[in-house]
Amino acid sequence: MVLTGAQVIMECLLEQGVDTVFGYPGGAVLNIYDALYEYRDRINHIRTAHEQGAAHAADGYARSSGKTGVCIATSGPGATNLVTGIATAYMDSVPVVAITGNVNLDLLGLDSFQEVDITGITMPITKHNFLVKDVRKLADTIRAAFRIANSGRKGPVLVDIPKDLTAQKVEFLPPAPPEQEKHHLFPFEQRFEQALQMLEKAERPFVYAGGGVIASGASEALKTFAERLDAPVACSLMCQGGFDQTDSRYMGMLGMHGTNTAALAIKNCDLFVAVGTRFSDRVLCNAKSFAQHCPIIQIDIDSAEFNKNIDVDLKLKGDAREILEELNRRLPQHTHADWMANIAAWKADYPLSQTASDPNGVTPQEVLETLSDLTNDDAIICTDVGQHQMWAAQFYRFRHPRQFISSGGLGTMGFGLGAALGAQVANPDARVINIAGDGSFHMNCNELATAVAYNIPVMELVFNNSVLGMVRQWQKLFYDNRFSQTDLDKNTDFVKLAEAFGAKAFVIQTKADIRPVLEQALALREPVLIDCRIDKDVNVLPMVPAGASVESPILEM
Amino acid sequence: MTTTAEKEYIISILAKNNPGVLLRISGLFSRRCYNILSIVAAQTENTEYSRILIVVQGDDRIVRQVDKQVSKLVDIEQVDVLDPKSAVVREHLLIKVERTMQNSEKLVEMANVFHANILSVEANTMILELTGDATTINSFIELYNPYHVLKILRTGAMAMPK
Repeated sequence: MVLTGAQVIMECLLEQGVDTVFGYPGGAVLNIYDALYEYRDRINHIRTAHEQGAAHAADGYARSSGKTGVCIATSGPGATNLVTGIATAYMDSVPVVAITGNVNLDLLGLDSFQEVDITGITMPITKHNFLVKDVRKLADTIRAAFRIANSGRKGPVLVDIPKDLTAQKVEFLPPAPPEQEKHHLFPFEQRFEQALQMLEKAERPFVYAGGGVIASGASEALKTFAERLDAPVACSLMCQGGFDQTDSRYMGMLGMHGTNTAALAIKNCDLFVAVGTRFSDRVLCNAKSFAQHCPIIQIDIDSAEFNKNIDVDLKLKGDAREILEELNRRLPQHTHADWMANIAAWKADYPLSQTASDPNGVTPQEVLETLSDLTNDDAIICTDVGQHQMWAAQFYRFRHPRQFISSGGLGTMGFGLGAALGAQVANPDARVINIAGDGSFHMNCNELATAVAYNIPVMELVFNNSVLGMVRQWQKLFYDNRFSQTDLDKNTDFVKLAEAFGAKAFVIQTKADIRPVLEQALALREPVLIDCRIDKDVNVLPMVPAGASVESPILEM
Repeated sequence: MTTTAEKEYIISILAKNNPGVLLRISGLFSRRCYNILSIVAAQTENTEYSRILIVVQGDDRIVRQVDKQVSKLVDIEQVDVLDPKSAVVREHLLIKVERTMQNSEKLVEMANVFHANILSVEANTMILELTGDATTINSFIELYNPYHVLKILRTGAMAMPK
C-alpha cells in the first residue's frame, strides 16, 4: 500500500491503538493535519489553546489510563512549547509520544523559518528521541517510539519529522513480527532468599510505595504483601491511590509533607521495604539521616536508581508487581500485633487537621473531605503545584490507582488543567476535577477554552488565597516574613473569567457554601470553575524543613 | 553514603552509530556531573557501531552510576568498566617544539630514547609523535618542556582488555 508519510503516521497511530491525540496545527505539520482530517472518524484530535496544554493533556491521558499519550506540534515555537510538558512526563516516568514537524530536509541546519533543533533540546528530558531523515524509516521509527515509551521504566519519546517527508510517498509495510522477548524473570534466586530472611526477621517492618506500583499495576500485590507481612504502608506523592487510603494499614505520605505517623514509624521500624520508588530528595529530606538504623530493601525496575540517592542493603531489580507476587507466593503469614497497635495509636494521636482563624472560614481540608464524600472517593483528581497540591494529596481519600494525577518530580505549575482534559477524554464516564491554586490557574487558564470548545466536563477548583502560598510559607519559615513577590493581588475575577470562556462558575466564600456549591457544580456535566476563597495563612503541615531529618517534622507554625 | 577514594576509570562503550550518539553520551555525563578526563570515539570493525572510550574521574559509586545511566541510553549496546591492570592502555601524542641550531641534536636524541617518531622538521620547528601509556607520555612531555613546546595534541586513552 503506497501512502504519504503523513498517512503512514496515521496508520502507525491506529496500529498502536491510539484513539485520541492532542495538538496544535502549524506550517510544518500541515500534511499531518491534512491526514488527520482524512482519518477524523478513527482518530479524535483535541486542539488545545497552547502546545504546553497538549503535552500535559497527553500526559494526563497516559497517567489516567496507562496507555501511551500522544501530542503533536509544529516546528520551532510549537515544538519548544511542548518542552515543559515533556520534562514533566520524563520526571514522573509517563509514557508519552510527542510528534513534531520540522522544516524540509534541505532547509535543516540553515536557521530556516520556525526551525529549532528539538531533538537536541529534548535530549535530556526524553527517554529517547528521533529525527527521521528517510521516509522509508518513518513507520518503524514511530513503532520504536511507542515501544520505548511504554516499556521498562516508562517515559516520553519525541519523533521529529521534516515536512517534506510527510508528503513523500512510500510503500507502507505492516510491522515485522515482534522478536521473542527474552523474559528472564528473576535471575536472582539468592537475593529472593535474602529478602525473605530479612522479612522473616523483621518485627517492625515499614512498607513504602512509590509511583512504580501504579506504573506496573502492583496495587493488589502490594495490598497482599502488606497483609502477609502485617506491616503498615506509606505512599509517596506519586503513589496516591496505589494503596487504599481508607485501609487501616495506611499511614499517609512520607517525606517533606508526610504524616507524623509515617515519621514516627520510620524512626521506630526495623526494616524498610521500598517498592517502585526512586528516593527523591523530597522524600529523603536528609539522605544522611534517612532510615540509617535499619536495613533497606529496594524493589525497582531501573537499576540506576539503586544506590543513587541512598545506599540500600538489598536490591531487587524488576517489575514491582512481578516481584511482589513472587514474594507473596513464598512469604508466610506474619503477625506484628504490637507494632500495628503502635501505628494505630499514632494515627489516632496525630491526625491531619486544619482550623480556620475565622469560625466561618473555609479550610481546604473541609472542602476536600466534602468533595471526597460527594464523589464517593471515586473522582480523578488532577492538581497543579503548590500548597493545594499537598492538601489534595492529604485530604482527598484516594482508593484506586490512576486516580491522582500530579506533577511530582518536575513540580510544574500550570500542569493540572491540561492534564485534566487528557484524563477526562481517556475516562469519559469519570468525574475529573483539577485542584488548582490561583497562581497555578493563572499560568494556563487558557485551557478552559479547550474544555468549553469540546465540552470536556472537567471541574476546576481554585483554592484562591491571593498569594503564592507555598513560596510564601517558606518565606514565613526561613525568610523572616519578607514576602517578596508572593502577594498576587491580581484582582482577577475568576467567575467572570470562566464565564468569558463560556464555562459555568461558582464561589465558595464561607463554610456554609462548601457543600451546596460543590453539590451544584457536581450536578453539572459541563466545564465548571469554583473560586474557593481561603485564608492566605493556612499552611501545609506537617513539614520537614530543608536539610532536617524526615523523622522530625514541624507540626505547627 | 559510602564513598571510596577518587581515581580514574576507563569506560568502554559500544554504541549504535546513530546521529547524535556522542552528544547523548557526553550530554549525560555533563548533566549528571560526571567528570570526563578524555574521550576517544571511532567506528569499529562493524561500521554500524562506534566504540567510545571515556576516562572518568570519580569513586566507585560514581562509576557504577555512570555504567548504569549510560547503559539505559537506547543506542548503547554495551558498557564495560575496564581495569587498567588487565587492559592495554595507549594514548597518542603529537608535540611541536621550537628547533634551534643549538637544541636540534638534543631533541632528536631524546626522541630516540623514547622511540618517538619525527614527523616533520622545519627551519624553526619539529613535530614528534609518541604512542604509550599516560605515564610515558607525561614523562616525554616533561622532558621537552624546557625546550619551548609550541603545541601539544593528545588523543586521550584507548584501551583494550587483554
